[in-house]
Amino acid sequence: MNARAQRWLAPRRAQALARFVLWSLMAVAIGILILILAFVLGRGLRHVTWTFLTAMPLDSGRAGGVLPIVVGTLEVTALGVAAATPLGVGTAIYLVEYTREGRLTRIIRFGAECLAGVPSIIFGLFGFVLFVLTLGLGWSILAAGLTLAFMTLPTLIRTSEEALRAVPARYLDVSLSLGATKWQSIRKVVLPAAFPGILTGLILGIGRAIGETAAVIFTAGSSLPHRIPRSLSEGTRTLSVHFYQLAREGISADNAYATAAVLVLAISLINLGAYVTLNRFMRRYR
Amino acid sequence: MSAPKVSIRQLGICYAGAPAVRDVDLDIPKNAITAVIGPAGSGKTSILRTINLLSVDVDRAEVKGQIRVDDRDILAGGVDRVDLRRRVGMVFATPQPLPGSVYDNLVYGPRLAGTRRRADLDALVESSLRAAELWDEVKDRLRRSAFLLSGGQQQRLCIARTLALGPEVVLLDEPCSGLDPISTFKIEEMMRSLRDRFTWVLVTNNTKQAARVSQRTAFVLLGQMIEQGPTGQLFTAPKDPRTGDYVEGRFG
Repeated sequence: MNARAQRWLAPRRAQALARFVLWSLMAVAIGILILILAFVLGRGLRHVTWTFLTAMPLDSGRAGGVLPIVVGTLEVTALGVAAATPLGVGTAIYLVEYTREGRLTRIIRFGAECLAGVPSIIFGLFGFVLFVLTLGLGWSILAAGLTLAFMTLPTLIRTSEEALRAVPARYLDVSLSLGATKWQSIRKVVLPAAFPGILTGLILGIGRAIGETAAVIFTAGSSLPHRIPRSLSEGTRTLSVHFYQLAREGISADNAYATAAVLVLAISLINLGAYVTLNRFMRRYR
Repeated sequence: MSAPKVSIRQLGICYAGAPAVRDVDLDIPKNAITAVIGPAGSGKTSILRTINLLSVDVDRAEVKGQIRVDDRDILAGGVDRVDLRRRVGMVFATPQPLPGSVYDNLVYGPRLAGTRRRADLDALVESSLRAAELWDEVKDRLRRSAFLLSGGQQQRLCIARTLALGPEVVLLDEPCSGLDPISTFKIEEMMRSLRDRFTWVLVTNNTKQAARVSQRTAFVLLGQMIEQGPTGQLFTAPKDPRTGDYVEGRFG
C-alpha cells in the first residue's frame, strides 16, 4: 500500500499532475472571466451606438443615450481618486519611512484592513450622513467623490505601502550618502521606484470606485440627469446605478446591457491607459 | 605622521542596546589610504558608516565617543548631515546605481548641491569618470541606463559618482567584494593613482588588498581595535599575536 502510494506519486508523475491541475485552475479562472465579458458585451455592445454615447437620456432611459451619466461617473471616480491619492500615498510614506514598526503602525494597518472589508453601503450611509446632511453638500458629485475616496483609501494605503517597502533600502543609503536630505531621497529616488506599484493600487482603486453602486446611490442620488453636470454640487447617476434602475424597473433591457457594456469598456480603457503609462515610465526610468 | 584628517576616539556603537563596537581609537591620515581589516561581523562597516553618520540616521545606531573630522567632532550633535556627506563620500559594497542613466547618476549629488549649468555638469561628469578610469568605456553611452553596465563598471560608476561630489574623505565599504579580479585590479589602480587627492578609508575582507594598496592598516576584532600602524609593519611585524594569525589566514 505504502509502496504503491509512493509509486503513484513518483516525482515525475506528481510533476505532470501538478502541471495539469494548475493549468485547469487557470483555465477555469480565465474561462469565467471570458464568460462574463462575453455575456455583457454580447448582449450590450450591439446597442452601443454613437447616439447612445452622445445623447441625453429620454423617457426614463428607454430611449436616448447616457452622455451625462458617463460624464457623472467619470467625475465621481476622478474626484474620488484625486482625493484619495495624496491621503493614501502620504499615509504610506509616513508608515514606511517616518515611523518605526510598532504599536501605532500596527493599529493604523489593522484599521485600514478593517476599513477595506466594510461593505460599500456602509460607506454610503456614512457619506450620506457626513457629506450630504451634516456638511450640507446635498446629493452631489462632490459628496459621492469624497465617499469613494474614503472607500478606496484602505486599498491604496496598503498597495502603496507594499510598493514603498519593495524599494531596496540601499537606494536610501546611496541617496543620503550623496548629500540628499531624507525628503529629497524619497521624492527623487524612492517614490519613482515605487511608482509602478502605487499605480497598480490606483488602478484597483479606480476599479472599485467606477463600478460602485450602493455608496453612490446614497451620496450622488439616483435621479436621472438630463444635462451634463455643470458643477460638482449637482447630483448624478452613475453607470452602474443607471444599469440597476433600467434592469430593476424593467425599463429597457437593451439599454441596461448597453450601459453595462459601456461601463466594462470604460474600465478596460482606463486600465489600458494605466498600463501604457506604466510601460512608458519604465522605459524612460530603466 | 602629521595631524590626522579623521581622528576617532573611544568610539562605541550600539544597535538597540547591543554593543557592536567598543572603545575604538583610529587615526586616519590625510591623502593616504587607510585599510580597516578584520573578520566579518567585527564592526568594520559600523565604524565606516559612523564616519558619515549613516549608521545613526539609517540604522538607528547609538554612538558615543568622538570622531573629529578636521577638528570638528561630528558626534557632538548639530552637524549638518548634507554638508558632512558631501565632504565625506561613501561607496558601498554592492554596486548600486540609482535608476536612470549614467549621466543622471553622476549629476545627482552635484545638482542637489546647486550646480545647475549644463557645461559645469558635463565637465564634472567627464572629470569624475576619468578619475574612476571609466570614461573611455562609457563616454558614448552616458544617456543609457546605468543598469546596463557590467558589475565592475557599475562599481566604478559609483566611485565616480562619489568623486563628483568633490569630497575630502572617501569611505569604501568592501568595494570589490562582488567583483572579478580584473575589475578589482582596475579599482585598486584607480585608488593608487588618486591616493594623494583624497583621504581614503578602505574596509576590506581581503587582507591582500589591504597589503597591496594601503599605507596604514587597522585590525578590528569583535568590535575592538586590536592594532593599527603602517601597513608594512602590521603585516610583517605585528605587535599582537592575533593580528599575525589573522593576516596569515590562521583564522577568520
